[in-house]
Amino acid sequence: MQYFHEEEQLGKAYDARLMKRLLAYAKPYWGLVLLSIFLLLLITGTELARPLLVQRAIDNHINAYDVPYVALPPHEAPEEAIEFNGNFLYREDWFEEAPPAGERFQVIRAEGKYFLIPGVIDRDTPREVDEINGIFSIITPEENYSGYLLEGEELSQFRSRDISSVINLGLIFLLIISLGFVLNYAQVYMLQYTGQKIVFDIRQELFDHMETLPLSFFDGNPVGRLVTRVTNDTQTLHEMYTAVLVNLFRDIFMLIGIVIVMVSLNWRLALISFAVLPLIFFVTAIFRLKARDAYRQVRVKLARINAFFSENISGMRIVQIFKQEDRKFKEFDNINTDHFKASMRELKVFAIFRPSMEVLYAMGVALILWFGGGSVLQGVLEFGVLYAFINYMEQFFRPINDLTEKYNILQSAMASAERIFMIRDRDPVIKDPAEPKKLATARGKIDFKNVWFAYQEEDWVLRDISFSIEPGETVALVGATGAGKSSIINLLSRFYDIQKGKILLDGNDIRDYSTHDLRKNIGLVLQDVFIFSGTVRDNIRLNNKEISDKRIEEVSRLVNAHTFIEKLPNKYDEEVMERGSTFSSGQRQLLAFARALAFDPAVLVLDEATANIDTETEILIQDALPRLMAGRTNIVVAHRLSTIQSADKIIVMHKGKIREMGNHQELLQEKGLYYNLYLLQYKEDFGEEIRKASS
Amino acid sequence: MKTFFRLKEFIRENKIYYILGILALIGTNSLQLIIPQLLGRFADSIAERQVDQGGIFIFIIVLLGLSLLIAFFRFLWRIYVMGNARRMEYTLRNMLFRHLQSLSTEFFNRHKTGDLMAHATNDIQAVRMALGPGIVLSIDSLFLTTVIIIMMITTIDWQLTLIALLPLPFMVAIVTRFGKIIHTRFKKVQEAFSDLTDRTQENFSGIRVVKGFAQENEEKEKFRQVNQENVDANMHLVRVWGLFMPLVQFISALSFIIVLGYGGILVINGTISLGNFVTFNSYLGMLTWPMMAIGWVFNMIQRGKASMDRLNTLFENKPAVTDQPDAISLESIKGKIEFRNLSFTYPGTDEPVLKNVTFKIPPGQTVGILGRTGSGKTTLMNLLLRLYNPPRGTVFIDDTDIHQIPLETLRENIGYVPQDNFLFSTTIKENVDFASTGRSLKEVEDYTKMAQVYDNIIDFPKKYETLVGERGVTLSGGQKQRISLARALIKDPSILILDDSLSAVDTQTEEAILHNLKEVMADKTSLIIAHRISTLKNADYIIVIEEGEVTQQGNHDELLKEDGLYRELYQKQLLEDKIDSVG
Repeated sequence: MQYFHEEEQLGKAYDARLMKRLLAYAKPYWGLVLLSIFLLLLITGTELARPLLVQRAIDNHINAYDVPYVALPPHEAPEEAIEFNGNFLYREDWFEEAPPAGERFQVIRAEGKYFLIPGVIDRDTPREVDEINGIFSIITPEENYSGYLLEGEELSQFRSRDISSVINLGLIFLLIISLGFVLNYAQVYMLQYTGQKIVFDIRQELFDHMETLPLSFFDGNPVGRLVTRVTNDTQTLHEMYTAVLVNLFRDIFMLIGIVIVMVSLNWRLALISFAVLPLIFFVTAIFRLKARDAYRQVRVKLARINAFFSENISGMRIVQIFKQEDRKFKEFDNINTDHFKASMRELKVFAIFRPSMEVLYAMGVALILWFGGGSVLQGVLEFGVLYAFINYMEQFFRPINDLTEKYNILQSAMASAERIFMIRDRDPVIKDPAEPKKLATARGKIDFKNVWFAYQEEDWVLRDISFSIEPGETVALVGATGAGKSSIINLLSRFYDIQKGKILLDGNDIRDYSTHDLRKNIGLVLQDVFIFSGTVRDNIRLNNKEISDKRIEEVSRLVNAHTFIEKLPNKYDEEVMERGSTFSSGQRQLLAFARALAFDPAVLVLDEATANIDTETEILIQDALPRLMAGRTNIVVAHRLSTIQSADKIIVMHKGKIREMGNHQELLQEKGLYYNLYLLQYKEDFGEEIRKASS
Repeated sequence: MKTFFRLKEFIRENKIYYILGILALIGTNSLQLIIPQLLGRFADSIAERQVDQGGIFIFIIVLLGLSLLIAFFRFLWRIYVMGNARRMEYTLRNMLFRHLQSLSTEFFNRHKTGDLMAHATNDIQAVRMALGPGIVLSIDSLFLTTVIIIMMITTIDWQLTLIALLPLPFMVAIVTRFGKIIHTRFKKVQEAFSDLTDRTQENFSGIRVVKGFAQENEEKEKFRQVNQENVDANMHLVRVWGLFMPLVQFISALSFIIVLGYGGILVINGTISLGNFVTFNSYLGMLTWPMMAIGWVFNMIQRGKASMDRLNTLFENKPAVTDQPDAISLESIKGKIEFRNLSFTYPGTDEPVLKNVTFKIPPGQTVGILGRTGSGKTTLMNLLLRLYNPPRGTVFIDDTDIHQIPLETLRENIGYVPQDNFLFSTTIKENVDFASTGRSLKEVEDYTKMAQVYDNIIDFPKKYETLVGERGVTLSGGQKQRISLARALIKDPSILILDDSLSAVDTQTEEAILHNLKEVMADKTSLIIAHRISTLKNADYIIVIEEGEVTQQGNHDELLKEDGLYRELYQKQLLEDKIDSVG
C-alpha cells in the first residue's frame, strides 16, 4: 500500500517523445486500430443522419401540404392521383419530370383549418376565411378564392402519400440506428480489446524487464512503488489508448461531419452559426488552463492526505504514547481543509465552464433563429433546415464538453509513461555472455581470486579476497556483522558483479555461465526465509514441476519438516497465510531447508539463522543440517559453534578482509583471533580441551 | 436512511445549502422546460407567418435571457449540492481520523493499514457520490421525468405521449439490470487487478529467492497468467458494459422513431401543430438522460449505503483504553513501578503471554529485562504504557493502580523508545521534539548529542531541517533508533523505557550512549529491554523472562554464576562481539 505515499506528479499533458514510444506499442494492432477508426467513421454517419431525416420529414412531407396540385384529365392521371370533384389531382413534387401545365389547386392552412382552393397563393400571403351558409371563401389582399374545407377522410386522402413517406423515413431510421447499434458495440469491443492487448504487452514487457534488473535496483526502490509501476501506471495508459487516442477520431469525425452537413444544407446559415466558434475556443482555452491547475492541486492534496493518513495509522502507537493526538488531528485537519478548498476551486471552475458552454450554445441557437428565422419568413429557407441546424448545434457541443476529461487522462498518462519508461530504460547490469558456457551439474569447486567488491563507488566491502573450496568441502564464514560474509554469498550467486578479481566455479569465471545455469547449481538458504503465497508444497517446489509430490515429502522428512507439516490441517496442501507469518521462524527455516534440498544443488549456501528459534526446533535444525549438507559443497555463514567446528575450513573475516583461514585445529594452533575467541567463550567449560589441542 | 444517521448533525448544520441547492436545481429544471415550448411556439409562429423579424428578436431575447438564468441556477446548484458533498467528505474524513486516534493498539493489530486506507479513500468517496450527485440525480430524475411527462400530456397529446414513452420503461429496466451485472463483473475486474498486484508484490519482495533459484522464467510465465486473467476479466466486463451505452441510445432512438412516425402523421392530420412536434421532440431528448440516470442513481446510492455501513462498523469500534471513572489526578510521578501477579492474555487469543509476573522497581533504579523474541518483554511494556488494559490490581505506579492514573499523566511521564523506531516524514527537529515541548534548537541539539546522532544530523545539508522518509533522506536503522531515543529523552520523563532500541547501533556507539545516559538515568526509573547482554549488563538489576515467566533475576555477576538463559546468551554473543573488538 506504499503507493499512498506518492505525490502525484503531473508534467506536460503532451510529450511527443513519450507519445511516439507509446504509439509504437499499438503497432502490432494497427489493423484493429484502423478498423476501429473506420467503424467510427460509419458510426458518425449514423449519428449525423437523425437531424437530417427530421429535416426531410418536415420539409418534404409533414410541412409539404401547400405544394400545388395539377388537375389531370382522367386518362393521363396515375393511379395514386386524388379524385376530387371529378378532377384528378396530382402534386407537383410527385412528378418524376417537370410537372405539366394545367389547372392548379392548393391545400392551404387558414385559421387552423385546411382548405382546398382553385389557384395558388404564397405561404406568407395573409388570408382570411369567410363563411356563408357552409360555403367558405378565402380572402387574400389580391384575390378571393372559393375554399373547400378539408376534414377527416378527405384531408387524409390528400396526405396519405405523405403519411406513408413519413413512415418510410421512420423505417429507414430504424435501419440506421440498428446498424449504428451493432457498429457501436463492435467498435467499443474492438477498441477495448486492443487497449487491453496493448496494456498486456506493456505490462508483460515491463515485468520481464524488471526480472532482469539487478538486486541493487530492488534494494534502492520501495516494493510498493515498483508494484505501482507495473499495475496502476499501465492502467492509466489503458485509459489513454481507449478514451483519448481513438475517441479523438470520433470527436474529429463528428465535428467535421457536422460542418459538412451544415454547409451543404445551407452554407450561409452555416457560416453564421460558426460565428460562435472563436468564443468556444477562447472559453475552452481559459478553462483548460484553470482546470489543469485545479485538477493538479486536488490530486497533490489528496495524495498528501493519503500519505498522512497511512503514516498516522502505522505510527498510531507512537502518537498515542506521546499523547500527540490533538496536534496530529490539527495537522490532519489542515491538509484536509487544503484539499477541501482545492476541490471547491476545482468545482467552481467546472461549475462555471459547463453553464457557460450552454450559454454559448444558446447564443449559437439565437444566431440561427435570427438569421434562419428571417430567411424562412422570406421563403428562402425551409423550416426543417432551420430545425436541423439547431439539432446539429447541440451535437456540436458534446465533444467539447468531454474535452476536459480527456485532457486529464492524457496528463496522467504522460506522467505514468514517463515513470514506466524510466524503469524500462534501466540497464540490467548483470548480463549473460553472448555464448555462455554450458553448465549442467557443477562439480562444486569454487575459487575466489583477489576479489574486490563495493556496492557503491570505492566503498570497499571486500578487499582482495582469495580462497578455494574443493568439491564436497564445507566452509564456515565467521565474522561480525558487516565483515563481508553476506557479500561473499551474494557474489557467488552473481547478484552483484565484482569490480576486481575473479570468481570461478569449476575453474571457469562465473560470468562465462548464464546466470540461470549458475544459480540452478547454487542453493540458497537465507536467514530471513521468504514464503510465497500458495500451499506448503508450492513453497518447497517453487515453480519446478519436475519435483514430484513424493520427492517433496522425502526431502521434508530428511530435513525434519515433515512432522510439523503433517500437523497442519491440510498437510502439504495447507495454504500459507500472510507470507508464512503463522509459522515460527524455526519452521520457516526448515521449509527453506526442504526447498534447497528439493533442488539438490551442487553448492549449498546457508546463512545460519540463530535468532528467535525455540529450543525444540533448534534441535531439529541441528539434526537436519548434516543430511542437508551431505554430498555437496557448502558455504555457511556460521553462528553456531557446532557448525564452525565441524567445517573443513573456517574463514575468519574482519572488515572485508580474510584474517585467518584453516580448520578448527589449525586455527587453534595459530593462536590468533579465532583462538582468542574460542578461549574467551569456552575457558570455563572447555579450558582443558583447548590446552590439549594447542599443545 | 438509518445508515446515514452519523451524518445527521452535518446535514442539520448544512441544511440551508441542501435547501438552496435543491431550489436552484428545481429552478434550473423548470426554466429548462420552457425552452422546448419556446422553440415550438417559434416554429408555429414562423409556419403561420404570425411573426416578423422584430418578433424573432423577442424570441431571441427570451431565449438568451432564459439560458443565462439557467446557467446561473446551474452554477448555484453545483456549488451548493456538490460543494456540500465535498464538505461532507471533509467532515467524514476528519471524523474517521479522530475516531481512529481514539482506538487502541489492539484495533490496529487486527486491521491492516491497507484496509483502513480503503475506508478512508474509496468508502468516503462512495458516500460522497451518494450524497452529492446521488441526491441531485435522483431529484433531477424524478422531478424532470414527472414534469416532462405532464407537459407532454397537457400541452401536446396524451396518446402520442403514451406511445412515445412505451420503450422508456425498458430503458429503466435495462439500466438497473445492467447496473447489477456490471457491478458484479466490475468486482471481478477489481479482484483480478488485486491478484495482479499481489503477484507482482510477491515477486518483488521475494526477488532474492526468485533470482537465487533461477526462477525468473517461471515467474514471468506466472505473471503472464495473471496478466492474461486481468485482460479476460476486463473483456468479460466490456462484453456487457460495451453494450450498455449503445443499447441506451438505441432505445431512446426507438422513442424518437415513434415520434417521427406517429407524431408526423398527427401533424399531417392537423391533430397537433408543427410547433407541438418540435416541442415534443425536445422534451423527448430531455427525458433520455433522467431515464438513464434513474438506474444509475439507484446503484450509486446502493454503493454509498454499503460504504457507509462499512464506515459505521469502523465507528462502532469503541476505544478499549480510556480514563476510568475512578481515576485520580496525580501531581507528578516519582517512578516506583510494581508488577503484582500479572498474567495477561491478548484479547481474542487463548495463550497467556505473561504468567504471574511479579517484581518491584524502586524509583530511580535501572532495570534490565532480557528474553528471546516472543517471551513477553514488549507486552510488559505495552501494559505499563496501558496500550492494553492489564487486569486490575496487577500493575502499579507510585503504588497507584495504573487504571486509576489518567492516561495523559501516565504517558506524559513515560519516555518510550520503541523497537520499531517509527519516525514521521517531517523534519528531524520535529521528530526529536515530537512531544512538542517547544524546545529550542540548542536543546534539541543537546539531546541528539546525548543519543550520539548529532554528528550524523549535521552532516546532512539541511541539518535539523532535513526531511525524513521518501521525500527526504533515508536514515539507517541505527540513526532512526538514536533519533527515537532523543525523542524520548527530550521529554525528561520520570520513567524511561528502552525497548530493544539499540539493536541496530554498533557496540561502540551503544557504549557511548549508555555512558551518556548514566547521568540522565540517575534520577529516573529506567527499563532497558535487550537481546544483547552488553546493553544491560550494567543495570542495577536484571530480570530474565522466558515464555512469559520470570525465570531469573539479579545483577550481572550474580546471573553469570547461575546456569540459565542469561549465561547461555552471554557466551553466544561473545563470539560476534569479540571479533569486532579484538580485530
